[in-house]
Amino acid sequence: MTIRAKALASIAIAVSLSLSGCQAVKQGAADLIASTGKVSHEDAQALVRTAEVLRSTFGDITEEEEYYIGRATAALILAKYKPSRNAAVNAYVNTMGTALSYYSDRPEVYAGYHFLVLDTDEVNAMAAPGGFIFVTKGLVKRCGDEETLAAILGHEIGHVAARHGLQSIKKSRLIDAFKVIGGEASRKFDSEELTKITGIFEGVLGDVVETLVERGYDRKFEYEADKLGLTFAVRTGYAPGGLAEFLVGMEEHKPSGPAAGWFKTHPSPADRLARVKTETAALGAAPIKLDVRTARFAEAVKNLR
Amino acid sequence: MKKPARLTFLIAMVLAIFVFLLAETVVVKIKMTSIRRDPKFTSPIVAAIKAGDTLEKLEARDGWVKVKTKAGVVGWLHATAVETKKFDLLAMDKTMKTQASSSEVALAAKGFNKQVEDKYRAGNAAANFTAVDAMEKVKPTAAEVEAFMKAGRLGEFGGTR
Repeated sequence: MTIRAKALASIAIAVSLSLSGCQAVKQGAADLIASTGKVSHEDAQALVRTAEVLRSTFGDITEEEEYYIGRATAALILAKYKPSRNAAVNAYVNTMGTALSYYSDRPEVYAGYHFLVLDTDEVNAMAAPGGFIFVTKGLVKRCGDEETLAAILGHEIGHVAARHGLQSIKKSRLIDAFKVIGGEASRKFDSEELTKITGIFEGVLGDVVETLVERGYDRKFEYEADKLGLTFAVRTGYAPGGLAEFLVGMEEHKPSGPAAGWFKTHPSPADRLARVKTETAALGAAPIKLDVRTARFAEAVKNLR
Repeated sequence: MKKPARLTFLIAMVLAIFVFLLAETVVVKIKMTSIRRDPKFTSPIVAAIKAGDTLEKLEARDGWVKVKTKAGVVGWLHATAVETKKFDLLAMDKTMKTQASSSEVALAAKGFNKQVEDKYRAGNAAANFTAVDAMEKVKPTAAEVEAFMKAGRLGEFGGTR
């Protein structure tokens, strides 16, 4: 045997030992618990297993749970705002949003992305967890072209992709929820558990809706969503100037009185604009704006009143 | 210089063989989605899959994973649609109950689910779930999205930089 062959053989042995080591450690732990005689061997296995499934933060919320949180958040937003009945504009926003989601960091969400125009002149956009995205009629009318609307939808997809909505849930609430949910593989709650978990669910919705509609996200999340939105839109093939154009327009229409709606839930347009310009410059070569897109945008929104 | 390079290569080979032997399994975490022929959303669909399905992972590239279904269909799906099953050697011991990974337990466990939504709806009549159901029904087809991208020279149909 050559030196090299010996070295290889010993590496192979070491690798297999380290791998089987994991098994020995886990088995050892289960055996040790079982050896106390207090629990059966099977329960000991379950204990080791349960220790591995403890959940504690927003990152442990499953796709399905996020979907149900998102649905109820959307239901509360739709209790406040009426959906636009303009099917053509809703179809247009959904098709564009889906195309943008393909080029995002999170194209797959539990039940897919859904977009809806809200029938209000207020200028705003909101993203509920799980991919339920809203833009107001006032905002769509403020956009001059498809690049601008793509930038807004990209920003909202950014909030979903980075799970910003879920991060507004109070940590203590999640710990309570995970305690009730437990690690047992049964999908049905008994009535006492159901009352408890539904109470926590209401609290969760309170946290999310308050952030989306009243308080707004932390600034750092808005800046992050701007950056993600810009990235997703450019990856999709849109010219990068859309968000800057929108922010310039918003800065010009800044209310003189106390901030409300979009102005209350977002950092100042001037502040965001400065960052967006730096990020755009860092992109280098980027797609250019095309008349064919501007024309179809005008066509899609012409009956939006 | 030559010998250490060859040794490094051989070590890498040995490790690659071990990785190969421990074939990775992924679990679908999306309600319903598709496996496509090529790693892009505009590629033809070769199989439909649903949450909880397990697939064999063959390869990963640029955010996509190449998988094989239990029926033997091979294709690609986006990495965000699946969760990598944590490899558990204990599960290989057939004399013991197969252990579920933490993600699988989470997927199968009680959580914020339909039962919780129903209970919440019963006590919150103002929450407009009917409008949410209508919102969910609006879903462009893959062909519609592709036609939109083609007409607007977006994605793979673009190139105007």
